[in-house]
Amino acid sequence: MNLHRGNSASADARRPSSPERAREEDRELLRRYHESGDTTAREELIERHLPLVRSLARRYAGRGEALEDIEQVGAIGLIKAIDRFELDREVSLATYATPNVVGEIKRHFRDKGWAIRVPRALQELNASMSGAIERLTGRLGRSPSIAEIADELKTTPEEVLEAMEVGSAYSTVSLSTGPSGDDELDPLETIGDEDAEFERSEDRAALEPALERLAPREREILRMRFEEGLPQTQIAHRVGLSQMHVSRLIRKSLALMREELLR
Amino acid sequence: MKPGGERIDLEAPLSGDFHAVVRLIIGGIAERVDFAFEEIDDLQLAVERLLAEAGTVGSVHLSFEVGENSIRTRVGPLSEDKVARALRDGEAAPGELTLRRILQTVVDSFGVDESEDGRIVVRLEKLKGFA
Repeated sequence: MNLHRGNSASADARRPSSPERAREEDRELLRRYHESGDTTAREELIERHLPLVRSLARRYAGRGEALEDIEQVGAIGLIKAIDRFELDREVSLATYATPNVVGEIKRHFRDKGWAIRVPRALQELNASMSGAIERLTGRLGRSPSIAEIADELKTTPEEVLEAMEVGSAYSTVSLSTGPSGDDELDPLETIGDEDAEFERSEDRAALEPALERLAPREREILRMRFEEGLPQTQIAHRVGLSQMHVSRLIRKSLALMREELLR
Repeated sequence: MKPGGERIDLEAPLSGDFHAVVRLIIGGIAERVDFAFEEIDDLQLAVERLLAEAGTVGSVHLSFEVGENSIRTRVGPLSEDKVARALRDGEAAPGELTLRRILQTVVDSFGVDESEDGRIVVRLEKLKGFA
């Protein structure tokens, strides 16, 4: 089951009938969150607008970063927008959130400029590693060694190690920088995409506040890793991602949580 | 021939910019012991979380003792009180994700030593799973 890609049947059932109604529902959820501290309303707002994040993230695909990682960064911008939204604003949440999401993504790329300039050969090796690790894990019944991955990809262990860092290098510092108000935006980026496709993680754990800042899928991955004690290979199988991607999500989620605790 | 008894010492800036370098070095050391991809990732994560808690000013000493089927890592001295508290406190409550819980998950054992100046050194031991 892919937790991130959610349950389309329930998504259809909850899809608002019109953009106006969606905006009204957003307003009500924002009111519940900001006036009554209702965190389930906040949670629902995040889920309602993840399709917007995905739509914006896709514009930045193909720049040396996995699309799902870009989505994760964009989701931080969405959460900030929800938290900062003032109820007397005349704009919809989608319109307000769009520059926040885009700003977060742009800042991420700006801060990671060095990572995007790595040699193409290493980027390609990194891209082929996920598949090699999955194949070897299936064949060997355990996580492969670096030498085994190198052998599978007909390269050296040193290159495999370097490639492991490509695209996974992650700066906690970049996430502690300020709000995104100074980012330049394309006119199109200020228009919110109100596609109301929903996603939902079904199994939520009672988690500390910093954990609540994460998307449901990331929380679930952390719960499986640190509460259930499952290895990455099993988590990857459960959520339908590669082991490398699970590893990156764990690292990013822990770094994000720490940022939240320092706020 | 597999390594055994060797030791690598490293003085690294605490600035986050160098965390990737430390990860790469850990990967290189762990590869010599033939650790699995996931075991390397675990050790990298443990050190990365410790460094993240140790602040961003100054530098930190890391040492890696390479056994035939294990790596013993020492990180410190660290001056952050909260690191010491986080590691010495009792078990985390269900649902809490503390540094202690993270280390319990990703390394086989860990401990805290006090250095002469009152700061702490964190010991981590990671064993190879399919020796």
